[in-house]
Amino acid sequence: MDFFFGLLQIIGVHTLLGLSAYVVLQTGQVTLAQAGFFSIGAYVSAMLTVLAGWHIIPALLVSATLAGIVAGIVGFPALRIKGLMLVVATIAFGEFIRLFWFNFDYQIEKKGIVVGPQGGEGFKQIRFFPENGWSTLDVAIFIWVIVALVMLALWWTDRSRAGTVLRAVGEDELAAQSVGINLTAVKVGAFAAGGFIAGIGGAIYAHYTTHIEHLNFGVMLATFAIAYPILGGLRNVFGTLVAVIFIQGFLVEGLRFMGDWRNLLFGALIVLAMNIQPRGLIDERSVKLVRGLFTRDTRN
Amino acid sequence: MDWLDFFQSITDGLLFGSIYALIGIGFTLIFGVMHKINLAYGAASIAGAYVSIAVAAYVPLPALVTFLIAAIASGGIAFLIYLANFRFIPLASPLATLMATVGMLILIDEIVVHATDGMPQPYPALFADIYIEWGDFGLRGDLIFIFVLSLIAMVVLMFMLYRTRLGIATRAVAQQPVAAQLAGISLDRTNALTFVITGLLGGLAGAMIGASVGVLSPLLVVPITVKGLIVCVIGGLGSIPGAIIAGLAVGAFENFFLAFRGVTERDMYVMLLLFVFLVFRPGGIFSRSVARD
Repeated sequence: MDFFFGLLQIIGVHTLLGLSAYVVLQTGQVTLAQAGFFSIGAYVSAMLTVLAGWHIIPALLVSATLAGIVAGIVGFPALRIKGLMLVVATIAFGEFIRLFWFNFDYQIEKKGIVVGPQGGEGFKQIRFFPENGWSTLDVAIFIWVIVALVMLALWWTDRSRAGTVLRAVGEDELAAQSVGINLTAVKVGAFAAGGFIAGIGGAIYAHYTTHIEHLNFGVMLATFAIAYPILGGLRNVFGTLVAVIFIQGFLVEGLRFMGDWRNLLFGALIVLAMNIQPRGLIDERSVKLVRGLFTRDTRN
Repeated sequence: MDWLDFFQSITDGLLFGSIYALIGIGFTLIFGVMHKINLAYGAASIAGAYVSIAVAAYVPLPALVTFLIAAIASGGIAFLIYLANFRFIPLASPLATLMATVGMLILIDEIVVHATDGMPQPYPALFADIYIEWGDFGLRGDLIFIFVLSLIAMVVLMFMLYRTRLGIATRAVAQQPVAAQLAGISLDRTNALTFVITGLLGGLAGAMIGASVGVLSPLLVVPITVKGLIVCVIGGLGSIPGAIIAGLAVGAFENFFLAFRGVTERDMYVMLLLFVFLVFRPGGIFSRSVARD
């Protein structure tokens, strides 16, 4: 059973990562810096629980807020550049944060052992869950409560005025600006919200793996972050969840019997999916198709 | 800090930077024609170099021919990338194209890992035994060869772009796709040919990376892609002279910090250089007066 709870944890964390990119993508900006914000959440929360001895919930909130603030600061240059320049700038920013952790050294002695982030060696012994007697099931429930809260918040935002504003900026900046939407506030806000969510994901990730290092937060993780919402479709939050379950549950775990060939298939499937469904798996057409199965339409 | 070390590291970096320049040109050309990024480009370049050593393993070849095979193989891969990721995805879905090229990057990378069991492969170097010395100052023969070869490739590319019908068609599509179509230029054919040309350049760059580093490894793909994109942005999207100068500059800059701050901090300074450009000169070195997306 522990295997399935472990899988649930992975899916939960990756859903948070995907949702963090989802918010930013809704405003029409492509960000590849999410892995960087994710790593801020991971390192800062781990330092708070391990070095300062905090409980995980305040550590999670503080580290996520910090990630959100950093993301907001990154959002400002994003006002000057857009499109492909932004892609490159965010890649560079994410890599910069990763390299910062690569060069970051800060250890103290706790209960006879030296703990703390140690440059290229990474940060070992993040043992909040085992030390406090949380079982795999407890951790999985904890993660999914947070995921549910974040999804609920985003789903509600989508249906409120704020979601409409985000989409308006994403569809046509000029039109959005001319009806009085403050582009600066919306873009920076979306970046900060995305950074906050990524920070939560990173904080949880650090605590269930118990060992993090800078290589965990490379460009590939950032591409996964945007892959989930793009593959799932930007229509609603459930697209991201479906994509995460499809990739992490089916492609990564379900096809484990295929061994290394699985990764080959993974790349090929992304190419295929984008050719068939350029607007994501859950787009207007597939929603109509599924609705058609359940409602009787007498008009045709 | 010693002045001699300073000049030595800058010179080595400049010579190696010609590879970054070639990769940057590839990104910039595709951007100029299609207004899209081909993230699988770095993977195609390295894969081309892999094909060339696979061929050289069966037939003994002079090193220069190996380079040519790398270029041709990479050109073929680039054409496949065009078919799989650009031809059938509508222009109105830029996110889908971006994602598809990421999928292609993973696919190519994994094929390479499979074919080589993930082991780094040695690559033949040219003129590695030559070392030109002036006192304590020296130049590596293989780096000079790489520099000269990329200069030749750039001159050929410029000639092609400005003097042949194909090049004129490419530039016309880059400026105004609709007008180019009205003048009887096939968008599809021009785009595909641009991909093949960038592939040729990329394969050459991949082979040169192999020759100067000494080994080829799938781990080279992501760093090369990131550096190429940085060069392409610093030089200004769509500007070939910009990409050349930015490539050389990034190479020199990076090697300087490699010598004086160590390998772990080197790339941080390259990212900082990019941020300086994005803040003070977001259009790149040769920015045009009109801001383009």
